[in-house]
Amino acid sequence: MEFPTHFDVIVVGGGHAGTEAALASARTGASTLLLTHNIETLGQMSCNPAIGGIGKGHLVKEIDALGGAMGKAADAAGIHFRTLNSRKGPAVRATRAQADRSLYRSAIRQILENQPNLTLFQQPVDDLIVEGDEVRGAITQLGVKFRAHAVVLTVGTFLAGKIHVGDANSAAGRAGDPPAATLAARMRELPLEVGRLKTGTPPRIDARTIDYTHLQPQPGDSPRPVFSYLGSVDQHPQQVHCHITHTSERTHDIIRAALHRSPLFSGEIEGVGPRYCPSIEDKVVRFADKTSHQIFIEPEGLTTHEIYPNGISTSLPFDVQINYVQSIKGFENAHITRPGYAIEYDYFDPRGLSASLETKPLKRLFFAGQINGTTGYEEAAAQGLIAGLNAARQVQGLEPWTPRRDEAYIGVLIDDLITRGTREPYRMFTSRAEYRLMLREDNADMRLTAKGRELGLVDDHRWAAFQAKSLAVDELGKALKALVIHPGQPEFKAVEEATGLSLSRERHASDLLKMPEVRLNELLPMIAPELAGFDASVIEQVEIQGKYAGYLDRQQADVERARAQQSVRLPVDFDYNSVSGLSNEITQKLLEHKPETLGQAARISGVTPAAVSLLAIYLKKTALPESA
Amino acid sequence: MYTTDTIAAVATGSGRAGVGIIRISGPAVPDIARQITGKTLTARHAHHLPFVDDAGQTLDEGLAIRFDAPNSYTGEAVLELQGHGGPVVLDMVLQRVLACGARPARPGEFTERAFLNDRMDLAQAEAVADLIDASSQAAAQAAIRSLDGEFSQAVNAISEELMTLRAWLEAALDFSEEEIDFLSDPVFKQRVRELLEAFDSVFERATQGSRLTDGLTVVIAGVANVGKSSLLNALSGTDRAIVTDIAGTTRDVLHEHITLDGIPLHLMDTAGIRLTDDVVEQHGIDRAEQALASADHVLILVDASQPVLPETHRLAKLNAPSTLLINKMDAVESSVKSALQDTAERFKEATGAQEVLFLSIKADEGLDALRDHLIQTAGRDTAVEGVFSARRRHLDALQRSREAADAALNRLNQGDMPELAAEELRLARSALDEVTGRFDTEDLLGKVFGQFCIGK
Repeated sequence: MEFPTHFDVIVVGGGHAGTEAALASARTGASTLLLTHNIETLGQMSCNPAIGGIGKGHLVKEIDALGGAMGKAADAAGIHFRTLNSRKGPAVRATRAQADRSLYRSAIRQILENQPNLTLFQQPVDDLIVEGDEVRGAITQLGVKFRAHAVVLTVGTFLAGKIHVGDANSAAGRAGDPPAATLAARMRELPLEVGRLKTGTPPRIDARTIDYTHLQPQPGDSPRPVFSYLGSVDQHPQQVHCHITHTSERTHDIIRAALHRSPLFSGEIEGVGPRYCPSIEDKVVRFADKTSHQIFIEPEGLTTHEIYPNGISTSLPFDVQINYVQSIKGFENAHITRPGYAIEYDYFDPRGLSASLETKPLKRLFFAGQINGTTGYEEAAAQGLIAGLNAARQVQGLEPWTPRRDEAYIGVLIDDLITRGTREPYRMFTSRAEYRLMLREDNADMRLTAKGRELGLVDDHRWAAFQAKSLAVDELGKALKALVIHPGQPEFKAVEEATGLSLSRERHASDLLKMPEVRLNELLPMIAPELAGFDASVIEQVEIQGKYAGYLDRQQADVERARAQQSVRLPVDFDYNSVSGLSNEITQKLLEHKPETLGQAARISGVTPAAVSLLAIYLKKTALPESA
Repeated sequence: MYTTDTIAAVATGSGRAGVGIIRISGPAVPDIARQITGKTLTARHAHHLPFVDDAGQTLDEGLAIRFDAPNSYTGEAVLELQGHGGPVVLDMVLQRVLACGARPARPGEFTERAFLNDRMDLAQAEAVADLIDASSQAAAQAAIRSLDGEFSQAVNAISEELMTLRAWLEAALDFSEEEIDFLSDPVFKQRVRELLEAFDSVFERATQGSRLTDGLTVVIAGVANVGKSSLLNALSGTDRAIVTDIAGTTRDVLHEHITLDGIPLHLMDTAGIRLTDDVVEQHGIDRAEQALASADHVLILVDASQPVLPETHRLAKLNAPSTLLINKMDAVESSVKSALQDTAERFKEATGAQEVLFLSIKADEGLDALRDHLIQTAGRDTAVEGVFSARRRHLDALQRSREAADAALNRLNQGDMPELAAEELRLARSALDEVTGRFDTEDLLGKVFGQFCIGK
């Protein structure tokens, strides 16, 4: 049957990408349908029970600054918060929370159910409605046809998912869920480049069988960080500790003796796993001289005894899992509640996508999340938000929007995917961002909220809060610029005493700020008590701008220099063969990728700067006759 | 490889010569070779045969050598026709080649293609030009060293180390929970220090080389009205500078390029340094000080008939090596000359000048000795082992790169914001990439994952 209501946008999948996609689409006013195989698992954390981390926390803050759900849900479900890199500079500081899985799911479901313009429906999707080179809807297992102007696919590891535990393997989307086999078979018929990736999980353990007496506890941070710009610690549930333990030589011996039974080494697994999240058997083989590996014991929630031993993901047979787990300090009598497993799944080469996340061969079809070769809840959610937004914008006849590399980690993520593709599950790191100093957790709202408002993603409440903060930052920044202290003034002496520095001559507040010993929240009461009343987030913002001053100016200048070239548009049907001097190989690459701008062309691997100059010169030459 | 066109040019010099070579590069080479020689040539074999026109008439005869892509100079198919060196016969053969489907090459286009096809990097491509232009044996040797990639190798070695150090730093930043923290490791800072030394060594060798190609920058300086402009005119054999006996005549920095014994020199005449109320002249003096900052060698000119002014002593605070020139010896009584010798020695000691020369520009005395001295000065630099041919551009990039690496070390010592040290290392590497034109975004993370066990 054909479903009577037609939608603007259909989102297939209710994970982290799917929820942000559906919410973003609906926020812009598009009538949106979220199709999931199971409403109970909306917002499910399939892997480790944590949100954020270095690079990932940055993404969460950006999603939040654009009105997304992830930060809010993490505040509602976080049972252990930390600021990573807290003793390093602001650009690499990052928030991470252990989350109670069920609290997280209910927070997400609550947000979804209360979102205007959003409809939920439970049915696995088996096929897409394709007319010509356009996608016009989705067909569910029962044969119900849902028609829409655009479809966002966020199918995670469900496309032809295959689980391995030793030599036993089975088809699954994740442990306990069936895979999307019919859709996968259908998708493989489409003109898209398909590949296989692999990821893994550790065995879960019953905490009552762990001996914590000799394990190192790891408490959350105090003061406790908050994820959402609109959040507060009052929203956080009860907080708990994590613990740390280590593998031993004996653990490694057990693993080494069983390597031939690992599907990773027998060749059974063809998918490529992430190098930064290796299985324990991978670590033992590749870093043979390391006698011990760290394991973080992460609680799964407040109402369960299950823990997630982060650091020992595996696809070894279950009997080996029991042996090696019990060789670990504190785990001598551990009971495994669920075996660890590796999962292989289909993904599509993201170089087949535009920056809007629309596929190039099929119009009105958008991809987000693991289907694009990424890993991680945050990476998925970030793409989901952009895909949902752009699907809605296409229906509304508006230009797509994707942040640039200098605006957001979301921009770095998408640009990396569509220009370079990926051969392993792609995860965000701060070192991927050349403008890292500009892209911080603390200023994601300053970078993105105004744009989000313009795009219709940011509601009145968030907008008002942002405007107040933004004004205050300006005000404090200006006041500080005018502030000078002179020798002889009591303020001068106070600063010298507090810092232990000899200042000797008059000093601008901005110069004082550059000294590592000086913190603005301590400085203000001494030299300008009337300014000390600003909100801590405002003072922090101004302090960071001061500490990074020269570097930020330089990065900004770089951005502007690059932008001139970056934004030069290349027509999709550009005839690279007519550019003299381009090598065959490079011409092939450009024809394959069809970069949208000169900047994208430059980032395609194998495209040399010389080739980019040739393109720039050619474009200039061919543009000349019109202006001459 | 190029898909579009084939280029051709006479590769040997103009004028009559025993042998003349026409070089052809591009996809039409096999076809052109067949048309002109009537044969299918074996690659990398010298074939002795006639070069014929479209009617089969012999235009010239000589050796034809074919190279297949990518094993040729340009990385494309290349044909070399080595015939007789007369301009008319060479032109006839060239016209025939063009009629067969090639177009005339722009200057440097063969090398440009070699660069574009990754047969050489930018520093090597420039070295080719330097080798062709080399005006002295020393310059030629330096260019060959760069062409062999010695300069590029030295730069790449630094670049590689910058990358390794940054990978360590990034690992500590992105994986702070992984028990791999180099920030406090003394070995890390030690390696940055060693890197700075490597920079200094490459920089010194490249500086010498840049003098061979770009020429030694020699700045003529001194207080007003000691004859600086006359010296410029005398050395360059022109009347470039206006010479009067009015102090403060020269208001801007004047440039002349001269060649002494095959060594290019870049002469700069500057405004006389003195206290002045004249705004324009003061501007000229500021520029003079800028010129001094860029000098490889400074000629400090003093008037033998006048007492040494304190402004001259200001010139003593120069970084560049200098030579003290005592001018206007013709205006000095012979009885004073020995006393002058004594004063000059003391002055030489005070300024750190390498040598003192007595001359009279007006009477053309001592100028030859000065020329010899300049040749020696430039020659002394060429005696350094392993000089690379390099350009100002390279030196500038090396300098910026080193400054960034130095700033990284300071940041590490300061300790509170290691991400700024990483930023400096990133800048250091991108400045270095300008030298070789190699901007490949090497997989930094690949390096991290290859070295450290990372991941929960």
